[in-house]
Amino acid sequence: MPLVNNKVGDNSTVGKDKALADGEALVDSLIKVVACYRHLASCVGSCTDSLQLRDELRQTREKAQKLSVAICHHLTSHLRNKSLPEEQRKEMELLWVAFSSSLELLHVDMCKVFKMGDVFSLADTGTLVQTGLQGGGSEVAARALSIPDLNQAQPPALPAGLESQEQSTLEQEISQIDHMIDDMEMKVNVLRWMVEPHGPQYADPLSSTDSASLALLSVDEERPGHQPLCQRSHIFVLLLLFAVVFVAATLSVCIFLFS
Amino acid sequence: MTINTLAKGGWHREQMTCFQKMEKVIVAMQDPDMGMKMRNQRLLITVIPHAMTGHDIITWLIQKYSICEEEALHLGGMLVKYGYIYPLKEPRSIVLHPDETPYRFQTPYFWTSTRWPASELDYAIYLAKKNIRKQGELMEYEKERYSVLHKRINHTWDFVVMQAREQLRASKQRRKADRIVLECQEQAYWLINRPPPGVGNVLDMGLERPNNFSLRVTLNSDYYKREIETCRRALGRNRVKSSICLEGFVKYSEQYQNHDPIMQGCLPSNPWISDDTAHWTMNAEVVPTPTRLRVECWSFSFMELLKDVMGRKEFMTYLEKEFSGENLCFWQACEDIRHGESSKIAEKVEEVYKNFLAPGAARWVNIDSKTMDKTLEGIKRPHRFVMDDAQMHIYFLMKKDSYPRYLKSDLYKNMLAKAIVPQETKKSVFPFMRRQRHSSPSPAQAAAQATEGDGRGKGAGPAGTNSDV
Repeated sequence: MPLVNNKVGDNSTVGKDKALADGEALVDSLIKVVACYRHLASCVGSCTDSLQLRDELRQTREKAQKLSVAICHHLTSHLRNKSLPEEQRKEMELLWVAFSSSLELLHVDMCKVFKMGDVFSLADTGTLVQTGLQGGGSEVAARALSIPDLNQAQPPALPAGLESQEQSTLEQEISQIDHMIDDMEMKVNVLRWMVEPHGPQYADPLSSTDSASLALLSVDEERPGHQPLCQRSHIFVLLLLFAVVFVAATLSVCIFLFS
Repeated sequence: MTINTLAKGGWHREQMTCFQKMEKVIVAMQDPDMGMKMRNQRLLITVIPHAMTGHDIITWLIQKYSICEEEALHLGGMLVKYGYIYPLKEPRSIVLHPDETPYRFQTPYFWTSTRWPASELDYAIYLAKKNIRKQGELMEYEKERYSVLHKRINHTWDFVVMQAREQLRASKQRRKADRIVLECQEQAYWLINRPPPGVGNVLDMGLERPNNFSLRVTLNSDYYKREIETCRRALGRNRVKSSICLEGFVKYSEQYQNHDPIMQGCLPSNPWISDDTAHWTMNAEVVPTPTRLRVECWSFSFMELLKDVMGRKEFMTYLEKEFSGENLCFWQACEDIRHGESSKIAEKVEEVYKNFLAPGAARWVNIDSKTMDKTLEGIKRPHRFVMDDAQMHIYFLMKKDSYPRYLKSDLYKNMLAKAIVPQETKKSVFPFMRRQRHSSPSPAQAAAQATEGDGRGKGAGPAGTNSDV
């Protein structure tokens, strides 16, 4: 992960802007990875739980941690720099707050995955909860790792010993995140009540392609026939129009012929 | 930051025991052979597996745990109430219907937990997601909560919105059936953890809530030993029948009623109300003539007599007439040792021994031989309470012997006759000037007035003769 390249010489503000842009990019991708991790974590213990899922979780977690360490260094070094201009500082503080919230979510998710990994051992698939999920989360993991398709080169049947190893690693990583959080609070003092967000209270809907497909998501079981009915009514209206136009055309032809 | 880090010992919460038990039941239901019978849920085009009817659940519970239907209904109802199973048709009706209503298991990530309670940040993200999905069509209470959260965690709002978007994009990667399931799961989770207004919060245990979730009492032998010891000590305590101690209490109250400034009022006037300090001056430690109430008090108990400085002096005078003054002196010296400076204890004990206990002492006191031996033994290593036994002996001697005779003596009776009863200060002409208002207008005042008249007459006479002498 490329860290900030401070331009030597040149305009220092350009360098600072680049630092800000870099920080933003890092934080954005951390947010994405945390969201994907949460998505995958919600499948642990369910019927789709498998070695592959655990492996994907591991990879996502590693990516998240790499990003966190990078962001931590980046932001800490900039925020401790007393010569930072005011607007830059404000932006950095916003990033800082976003970063600490992501860490919070990541921490809880990691704890939950650890606990559930203990409770639901993959050796005994009879205990996995049948939640109704059918597919795996490979695409989500691929999204997290920013690669087009998750490499299926790894054999899904990983040795069972890896599971316990992963558990102990997870434990260590959780405590590492703990320490990072502690460290952060010690080193940089961000007054959270002074931080003002940019965005509005109500988020704008996502882009049109997103919202169109999202509209499909909001199928409530309460009205299952809603969507098809809409489409049917559209077709009906169109047919009616065509019929009217057809009748008008036939009439005009008749008049023309008979006149 | 709203988390408690494990490292800082920030209050390691435990999962409540009832949740652990319910989780075991849910896991037992998953057994491929003995577990729940699963059906498919048919939405219009999609088919989602792993649904079950309420009837199935109850049948399974009856079979597995050999319980009656009523109990199975209750147990199943609890599983639904705490979010381990959620209804599919009407998500807001979180009850178990023993008919064909479909239900589904909640994923372990969303199981109700006291260990990782739902945080405000999570709820904000969920509401933001719902808002984006439904394009602003949240329910009323959700809109309210959304704005409250916006104020409360305002600093991290950008993050909330971004995370909501990312989570939606992540779920887009799944197929449609899975997306529906994930949505239902999350909705069920939040209906339990942030119930709509009017619905009770299952996690709120009210008055029966245990104080400390993380304290676990291990029922080992140490615990039981401690319990046995506590019970033994409790059994050994002295007990008095309430009828007897209440009688004593009533007697005490009757005896002291006249002396109580709240019940009876103070004469001449209550200094706190009237700003007249005559009451205090009249009842000072050493006065030429004590008040009547004070002298009466000496007759209530021996301790009262000894507590009062004047009383003690009077008693001493009496004892000296009877040639048993050394008892009281001894008692006083012992009190001094008990309540005096630590550094002076040794020399005081020495003094006492020299004056009162040594054979052939000037003021030898009459103590029985056993106590005397014990005390002499103790004097070798003097401490604050070394004289306690001897003092107690002498105290009871005086109480049984000298004290009743004193009360019958002329000395006491004269003192009683001499005692003054202060006049109640005159009521002021103006009704708003509070000169002598008693704290409670008691009808006993009338009785006091009557005795006042007698006392004044008697008091004036001897007082006059005394002052002449």
